[in-house]
Order: sequence, then structure tokens, then C-alpha cells
Amino acid sequence: MSATRIDHAGTLLLEQPFARIPYEQFRKTFRTSQKHIERELGAVQAATVDLVKRAREGTCDAAETARAIDGMIARAEGLKRKLSELHTNTTVPVQATIRRRLEDLAMVESLSSTDDPRFESWAETRLDRWLVDWALRNGREETARKLAQEKGIEKLVDIELFAEVRSVEEALNRRSCAEALAWCSDNKMGLRKMKSTLEFELRLQEYIELNRAGRTVEAMAYANKHFASWLETHNHEIMQSMGLLACKPTTSIASYKRLYDSQRWTTLTTNFRLAAYMLHALPTVPLLSLALYAGLASLKLPTCYERDAKAKNVDCPVCDERGLGELAREVPWSHHVNSVIVCRITGKIMDDENYPMCFPVQGYVYSREAMEAMAAENNGRVTCRETKETCLFSELRKVFIS
Amino acid sequence: MAQTSKEADPLLKELDKLERLSSFTSSAIRSTTKTKSPSISDSLDSLIASLKDAKQAAETGQAPEEYVGGLSSAVDDRKREVEERQKEIHSSLARFGRALDKKFPNPLPSYSPLFTSPKAAAALEHTIVSHFIRTGSFSVAETFLKESEMEAPDELRRQFVDMHRILTALRSQDIGPALEWAIAHRDALRSRMSPLEFHIHRSQYLRLLLSQPTPHLVLRYARRNFPALYAAHASEIQRLLGAVAFIPRLASLYPDFASPNIHTDVEAMFARDYCAMVGMSREVPLRVVGDIGGGGALARIEKGNKVMRDRKSEWSQTDELPIEIPLPPRNRYHSVFACPVSKEQSTEDNPPVMLQCGHVLAKDSWRKLEKGAGRVKCPYCPVESTSPPHRVFF
Repeated sequence: MSATRIDHAGTLLLEQPFARIPYEQFRKTFRTSQKHIERELGAVQAATVDLVKRAREGTCDAAETARAIDGMIARAEGLKRKLSELHTNTTVPVQATIRRRLEDLAMVESLSSTDDPRFESWAETRLDRWLVDWALRNGREETARKLAQEKGIEKLVDIELFAEVRSVEEALNRRSCAEALAWCSDNKMGLRKMKSTLEFELRLQEYIELNRAGRTVEAMAYANKHFASWLETHNHEIMQSMGLLACKPTTSIASYKRLYDSQRWTTLTTNFRLAAYMLHALPTVPLLSLALYAGLASLKLPTCYERDAKAKNVDCPVCDERGLGELAREVPWSHHVNSVIVCRITGKIMDDENYPMCFPVQGYVYSREAMEAMAAENNGRVTCRETKETCLFSELRKVFIS
Repeated sequence: MAQTSKEADPLLKELDKLERLSSFTSSAIRSTTKTKSPSISDSLDSLIASLKDAKQAAETGQAPEEYVGGLSSAVDDRKREVEERQKEIHSSLARFGRALDKKFPNPLPSYSPLFTSPKAAAALEHTIVSHFIRTGSFSVAETFLKESEMEAPDELRRQFVDMHRILTALRSQDIGPALEWAIAHRDALRSRMSPLEFHIHRSQYLRLLLSQPTPHLVLRYARRNFPALYAAHASEIQRLLGAVAFIPRLASLYPDFASPNIHTDVEAMFARDYCAMVGMSREVPLRVVGDIGGGGALARIEKGNKVMRDRKSEWSQTDELPIEIPLPPRNRYHSVFACPVSKEQSTEDNPPVMLQCGHVLAKDSWRKLEKGAGRVKCPYCPVESTSPPHRVFF
């Protein structure tokens, strides 16, 4: 019975990105609204301060004042429109996604047995989600979209997030940092919390590129503007990078050569992806691979790879050497301290009631149930399926597995 | 049950608050909600109204010093209101974030890339496309093959198109194709002791029974189809025929006959028999492995690894899991013999052997217990074996 109990903590372990991704999107939307508010209301306030000042000085005429107020009205109305659109188009759908996902998790947490049909359909959807995640990480975006749409699980998968990550990666591959920097600014809070240095690496790269192009003056201005906030944490790198101002890309000095190395772009792309995944609690490898790793390791036995085809079980996923069995070569063997004897005929696990019985000469073991059924049909004679050894049921030996 | 846990879920509670706070207009706020500041939409409306008043004052030629002071303080007040509301949303967001941290205390493990060798990657793609085909997502499989520039595994496809054709018919209450298949495979099904053919007829008979106003057609169906099956299913057929007399009280007298499961079970049974017939596993393999891995195995493996790391004793056998992962009985596909003395799993070099009393040990353990000339006192019972032990095969 306990084998069908749902392990809630173990199940939740893989669901963190599922719950966290829409939350991060919500935070991002909030930051956008905050930016709009700061900009527009700040401007309106500045304009009123100006009006008050001029009124006190008695230097404003009516027409000019009306025009100034018109500008303020336009700003306030524009702000209201922008915030209202942001609310309807982003906040509300994101909240609906959060709710849908939390309810999905609450539902599965309320179940106790894996035999519950609701668990069955939840697990089916979970696998579909993992397949979408896998497809998105492996350049099968069409497959991901098609699967999500066919199963009606668009709200449960994160196609947009991966599309965004991919478009920034493509920009980096074109050697453009602008998109990645904009992404950093959108996710400032989250990146700071995880102490990411991605933004510095991007800034450093832009600075290196200015030097590569021989635009030394611009490079100095750039360093001045963008490195100041990183001095405390990246003093050494910044000081070293200053040497670039004096070195051409053809330099033979190792430390500068390294900075000019185009390999840095590849590293940058990788680091960006890792930061984006980490921000959303996404693992570095696909969720499907993690689940398969653990599942295959739980099942993998030397028997699955035996050359003798008779040892294989068509129902065992690891025994399929062209499919999951090939993947299982990368995972550890399962570990067992307790014996479990499975009948080759009935597939049932033997126990005190349905105990194992052994053929007297060749030593093959089957369950009592299988042997009794065979004896009943053959006047008390039983035949070993593997060796064709035959004897009376009464000649079988009872086997004790402690 | 589901309701109580839903109410108790702190994340959903925080989400309720967050939704109320971040609603843009006040009309969306339920009256029960307490927020410290007015909705942003209200504040902005009030700001716009103040601005419009001021504009009118300017146009009607009022002296600026009469209204700019009022306007200035209105702007300051509305701005403060909006900022306060944003602050409330911000702290609600932070609370939600903390509730998330609490719900998910452990990050997912980061493994080095898995299944990326050319052979493993190809096997994974093969597994995935087979999965799509097997679960009837043919158009997804099509898209996947195109995107992956892969060839369709034709044989597999043909089989599962056929299987899904029959299943779809079954689902829409057309038993024809399933029955045809069951009759074509009658011998093989009999050797599997599968009652599929009878279950198809039973499902159809019960549907007729519940839909026909007179038992005439129902009995004709029974006369035509049940005699051949009578030998193997006599008592069940008697019950089915008996039910004719009690149609109005069927649900109370024969609850199993009235249950929809009796029809859906036929679908599952057919799928299982079909897979077995073409040499496919009973359950969808990706589901089996995924459900085990995602159902606690990953968490246990991580915990085991952590314990090993903390003890600073690198697990001696790095290619074996440090702990045993419990599996549901239906996922035990092979016998495993672990010697009760040494706790080691048996191998070809160290096979299981049976003493005269019937107790089984690993051969190495037997050697250690041997007192010469094959004499061994069984560690589990008083019997002393006097001859060499007997190799057994599970």
C-alpha cells in the first residue's frame, strides 16, 4: 500500500520553477509600472514646482500656464492609459497563471494515492510539461508549441520565457550586448538577490569591443560611466582591463590576449543562460533529464543488460537498449539491501503466501501460484519454462528468502 | 479535503491579497478588502480632475497664485498615494516570495549535462518520438520528426495508428474494430488468459440493456454472442442474463454493471493486450521512469548524496546509488537477490545458493561459513547442511 502513497515533498522538488516563473514575471511587470509612475508623476511634480515658482515670481502668463497644465494632463492621462493596459494585458493574465499553477499543486497535494485517477491525469500533464521544457531547450520550439496547444496546457508551460532567452542568446551570438543588458535591467532585483555578475561581464565586453575597434576615447568614457558601481567587487578585473587602452587586439601579452579572445562571447552566452535559468529556479539540465536520471537509476539492474534475451522483461524500460536503456548507461546502478523475487511466469512478487519453489535439478525458481496452476492443468506435473526440466509438483523444493 | 488544504495554502492566501492590491481600479476590489491607500486609477482620476480645474482657472483668467498652491499640494498628495499603493504591492510581492521560498526550501540539483553523448541523444530523441506516437499525439510526432530531421519509425507508427484507430472507435462506443482484432488474435489472447473478447461483448450487452426499451434485442445479442464464451465465463454470463429481469433497479442490484468503468476498462485492457502482442511494454515507458524519478526518487538520491558528502566518505561504489529507492510492486521487473548475511547483491561470480533446509545465501557467504567437506550450519535455522549447496536461478 505504502508504495502507492504520493511522496509530496519529493514531487514538489521538481515543481519549483513551475511556481516561480510566473512570479518572476509578475515582479518584472511591477517594475515596469514602477518605472512609468516614477517617470510621469516625477515630471508632473517638477512641472508644478516650476509653476509655483513662477507664480511667486509673477512671471507667468495665463496662456503659458494653461499650456503647461495641458502637458501635465497629457502625462497623467498617458500614465493612466499605460498602467491600465499593463494591468489588463500582463498583470491579470500573469496572476491567472500563478493561480492556475498553485491550484494545480494544491490539488495534487490533497491527493494521497498514486492510484487516484486525478493523480494519473496530473502525472500525464506533468510529463507533457517536461517534454515542452525539453523541446524548448533543445531547439524544438514548433514541437513545444504544438504539444502545448494540443494538450491545452499553454498556461502551464513557459514558451515565452524560453523564446525571450533565445532571442537574447541570438543577439549575443551576433556580438550585441544591448539586449542582454536590457534583460539585466528588467530583472535587476532578482539578479542582485542571487549576486549575479552578469551585468559586469556584459559591460566589460562592450568596453573590450570599443578597444578592439580602436575607439580608445569612447572606451575611457564607457569605463568611467559603467565601471564605477563595480569597483568594490571587481577592482582587480577593472584595473587590469585598463591596460587594454594601451594594447592592440594583436597583443602578445597573455592577460590582454585573453580579454580580446573571442571565446569570451561563448562564455558570455552560457553565463547569460545560466543566470536566466537560475533566476527562475530552472535547473541547468532539462527537468525531463533530471526525472529520467533518478527514475532510471532506481530501476537499473545488471539483469537489464544481460546478453541472454530471456533475462529481459518487455515491460522494463531499462531493458530497451535502443531507447531508455541507452540513456541508463549514464546513470548509477540501483542499490538493494533487500531481496525481491519476481515470478518469471506471473510477474508477481513472491512472499510468504505465494512462496518461491525450485526445480530439483536445474534450480530455477517460480512462484507457488504459477506452479499450482500448471500442475492443475497437467495432472500434477510441472515443467520449467527455461530448461524444460519436468517433475511432479510434489518434487519442487520450497525456497526460503530471508 | 481538497477544499481545506486549498484554504490553508499560504501561497494562495498571499495571492488573494496580491490580486486585490494590484487591481487597478477600485471597482474590482471586493468590499471586504482593506487597503491603506486608494486604487491607482482613483488617484490618477483625482489628479487629472485637479489638473483640469486648474486649467479652467487659468483659462478664465484667475491669478495663478490663487490656484497653483492648491494644485501643487494636490499633485504631491496624489503622487504620495500612488507611491504608497505601490509600496503595499511591493511588500505583498515580497511576502509572496517568502512564502515561495518556504514552500520550496530546496533548489533543484545541478547536474553536469545529461544524455548529451551522440548515442544517448539519439536514443532520447527516439524515445520521445516513440512516446508521442504511442500516446496518440501523431501530429506532434510529425512536427518533432520534421524539426529534428529524423526518419519516422514506420513499423511503430503503423502499429500505433492501428491501435488508436481501434481505441477511438471503442471510445465512441463502436466495438466493431476491437472485436475484429480480438477474434483475429483469439489463440494468442487465450494463451495470455485475457478475457478481452468477453469483456467487449459484456460492454456492448450492457449498453444495449440500458438503452433498449424491450429486452428483445438484448437477448438476441446474448444468444448470438455468449454461447461460444460460456465455457470460460459461465457465472458472469448467468449474472448478465439475470440482470435483464431487473433493468429499473440495475444500479442498486448490479452496481458494477451500471458503472462506466466497465466500459473504460475494456479500452485499457485492449491497449494492454495490443502492446503485449506487438512486443511493447504494458505501460508507457517514459511515464514509468518519469513518475518514479519525479515522485520522490530524485529527492531521495539527492539526500543520499548529501549524507555521503557530509560524512566526507565518498561513496565507495560511485557507479551505484548510495541508498535503496522503494519501488511500487508493479515496477519490480526483475528478481533481486541480496544475500541476508553479506547484504551484497548476487552476481554471476557470487550467485545465490540454497542450503539443504531451503535457505538461500550468496556463494561467498556460504564459503565463509563452511567448516570443511561442505558442512555448513544454516544461519537461519538449526539444520546443518552436509553437502555442497545448490545453485538457484530467480
